[in-house]
Amino acid sequence: MTSSTRTRPSNGAIVALLLLVLVVILLAVAVARGANLVKVAGDVVGSMFPPPAATAEAAEIRSLYDVVFVIAAAIFLLVEGLIIWSVVRYRRKPGDDVLPPQIHGNNVAEIAWTVIPTIIVAFLFYISWQTLNSVDAVSKTPDIYIRAVAGQFQWSFVYLADDGQTQEFTQFLPSGEAGGMVVPVGRKVQLSLESPDVIHAFYVPRFLFKRDVVPGQVNRFDFTLDPSEAGQTFRGQCAELCGIGHRTMTFDVHALTQADYDAWLKKQIEAAKATPSPGASAAPPAATLNLTAQNIKFSTATLDAPADKPFAIAFDNQDAGVTHDVAIQDSTGALIFNGTDVKGPGKATDNVQPLKAGTYTFICTFHPVQMTGQLTVK
Amino acid sequence: MATTALTPAASAYRSGLYEWLTTTDHKKIGILYVVNSFIFFTLAGLLAMGVRSELAFPGLQFVHDEGVYNQLFTMHGTVMIFLFIIPILTGFGNYVVPLQIGAPDMAFPRINALSFWLLPLAGILMFSGFVTGGAAAAGWTSYSPLAQDRPLGMQGSGEDLWIVGLTLIGTASILGAVNFLVTIFKMRAPGMTLFRMPILVWTVLVTSVLNLMATPVLTSALIMLFIDRNYGGHFFDPATGGNAILWQNVFWFYSHPAVYIMVLPAMGMISEILPVFSRKPLFGYKAFVFATAGIGALGFSVWAHHMFTTGAVYLPFFSLMTFLIAVPTGVKMFNWIFTLWRGKLTLSTPLLFALGFLSMFLIGGIDGAFSAAVPIDFALQDTYWIVAHLHYVLFGGSVFGVFAGVYYWFPKMTGRMLSEGLGKLQFVLMFVGFNLTFFPMHVLGLSGMPRRIADYASTAGWNELNLAASIGGFIIAASFLPFLVNVAVSLRGGRIAGDDPWEGNTLEWATTSPPPPYNFDHLPEIRSERPLFDLRHGRTHAAAVLPDPSPAPQPSH
Repeated sequence: MTSSTRTRPSNGAIVALLLLVLVVILLAVAVARGANLVKVAGDVVGSMFPPPAATAEAAEIRSLYDVVFVIAAAIFLLVEGLIIWSVVRYRRKPGDDVLPPQIHGNNVAEIAWTVIPTIIVAFLFYISWQTLNSVDAVSKTPDIYIRAVAGQFQWSFVYLADDGQTQEFTQFLPSGEAGGMVVPVGRKVQLSLESPDVIHAFYVPRFLFKRDVVPGQVNRFDFTLDPSEAGQTFRGQCAELCGIGHRTMTFDVHALTQADYDAWLKKQIEAAKATPSPGASAAPPAATLNLTAQNIKFSTATLDAPADKPFAIAFDNQDAGVTHDVAIQDSTGALIFNGTDVKGPGKATDNVQPLKAGTYTFICTFHPVQMTGQLTVK
Repeated sequence: MATTALTPAASAYRSGLYEWLTTTDHKKIGILYVVNSFIFFTLAGLLAMGVRSELAFPGLQFVHDEGVYNQLFTMHGTVMIFLFIIPILTGFGNYVVPLQIGAPDMAFPRINALSFWLLPLAGILMFSGFVTGGAAAAGWTSYSPLAQDRPLGMQGSGEDLWIVGLTLIGTASILGAVNFLVTIFKMRAPGMTLFRMPILVWTVLVTSVLNLMATPVLTSALIMLFIDRNYGGHFFDPATGGNAILWQNVFWFYSHPAVYIMVLPAMGMISEILPVFSRKPLFGYKAFVFATAGIGALGFSVWAHHMFTTGAVYLPFFSLMTFLIAVPTGVKMFNWIFTLWRGKLTLSTPLLFALGFLSMFLIGGIDGAFSAAVPIDFALQDTYWIVAHLHYVLFGGSVFGVFAGVYYWFPKMTGRMLSEGLGKLQFVLMFVGFNLTFFPMHVLGLSGMPRRIADYASTAGWNELNLAASIGGFIIAASFLPFLVNVAVSLRGGRIAGDDPWEGNTLEWATTSPPPPYNFDHLPEIRSERPLFDLRHGRTHAAAVLPDPSPAPQPSH
């Protein structure tokens, strides 16, 4: 088809021309108003890539992404270009009743577009497999062991000793300045993932990584934060639908230098040792407070206890299949008592050490948002 | 064989409503499927509008109870897949396949009616959850243990109604698959060899094999989940010795082939449309058939690519198979493009929607290469990137294909043409709205927005793209209005279609529009996959198709 055979432009051509003019006008207006088109174009392309990699593993995944993206973009442009070219170039003109050549196929072409894509996907499989073997490797001798426990709807991080078993202390607050998972940069951290209830997923966008937290199995993965990330905080979030509070299951990962991390860890372990474990008090309790948990709620929002005397909490969890506990925070939010975990239906009675007169908060550490109340000691 | 096609005299005695409720005519059942599917499409679309309204801005504005939000997207996904895409493709198969192979009806007309009537029943059951304390809210994947009956899980009857509804739909699919297989293998007209069947018939054949092999697995999984919830089965609950991953394996063993159940017939439909509107045969007919069978076979070996992050599957195998399935899909894409190549294209609405399929499904397919690379999937899984990918496949692919089919076969079904102007308006609105909704979701997912959340922090950097996606969503909804007007106006006053308005290639265009209950007074000779083209232009053009026509196997009747 040449333009000379055309007597008048078709409706489609007029619409296309109008659209083109509209785009040109919009671009001209944007430039006149001071938009930097090069920067905008760069931002658009940049938005099709993941955020900057924070870990050594993420950097490898990013390299793989870049290769796949280039090949994908080339294939997209080629094929979409062929489609558009065919539509623009091969149009039936009004009154043209001559059939085009009736081509039924071409075996050479069929073989070509079977073999070449097979080679491309075999290559993509090979390089992604190599990357997988690297980023999915679980070391027998990581530098730090942490266990992340994801329960409906709260993360907690258990710091383990070098044997990977002994619990040193638990970070109950999942986010904020005083909470979150704190890790040193440049060290291989092994995270083991456990869930007491439903499936969750540990996801930090800048790790370019997620791993499901599956009840009944322990998943492990290693990561090493890039040394340049010291002082940074990374946002994390549950990525597997886990129920009504799924959206609220966010957490922070704080990256510290090795020295800062060591100091932080020492302080946390000492603080944890200072919190007496339940039942440590030998003196008989002066009072027993009854507390029931049902439907992810405490039976009361207020409790009263005597000051400067040991007392007991008789806890009754009536939620079948759900684990609750009772813990007490002082006015600064520090955990000063942490009771026995009770899987429902079940009961436990814990002795609490003498407390000074004042106002405290009692919570379930598994459901601190839904289950909280005020403890008045006087 | 069964000869249950109604005679015109018999149907004349019946009132219209009674006739529609009791019909066993494959064409009427096909139309029932299509109408029923569009009703559920509207409902599921409204649910999606609820989701997009809530996400347009950070903060909870419309859905204050996040449990309700979970019901919205759970039911949106379930209804779109099981009560819209799969049934509407079955409906087109029902209407078109017997006509294209020159048969008077499906092999088992009463079973055909049964498989249809199970669907509205199942839909009513699922939706009734909304008035019995809350519909299912565990996602359309209904992962256990979240789907178990317990606090913070799925207490209440909504989930049970969902299970029962899906079980009925599964039963309908199995019955339909058997019906299609017997119809295609036993009821083809003389001369209609397997390699002269229209591509749509081939895709329905492969889809039926997938349905027959995969659906019973889903149905048994659903029954096990029902027993878990109601009779203490302990199959899928680790708290009582079950296995949470087992559910995912059996669920995806069906639900990945289901992606091909949702795409292959749509591919078949555009493979009918592209040749007609470019006035050329389908390029590489046999390669296309082998590619369809290849996708069907490979489709059973990739289910665990939905489970790469579970830590419980052998990753390299499923990665390799997922990459490999791109090859037959690519073969099809090139065959379609070279069908257009050097053709004489008429840009009617069916072709526009078919071209929409090609260019949008391409993006969905290329996305697949990212998630097949396991380490990249670690970054993308369960984010909005996956939502983008699946909609480019199921909306950009299947739904555009469905509308191509609606515009193409509406004249055959009703005897009237749809308006081209309204059709093109619908296409432009839908194409723009679709891309505005779903392309930004790639970016949202890459920057870390998980799916299935009712709200996000206003500081997360997701505000603008979510607003864009919501605006796009409402444009998609608006694109449905010209379609409804078009159907309503054209049914009464549309241009009379005649037998063959598009210069079609296949047998359905050899009979009247709409066809009589018994379909054909007489059939043209079938000597290639384009019997009507041969009739119109003589055999000279088609001489190269099948140089050695072996004696056609005679159908048993």
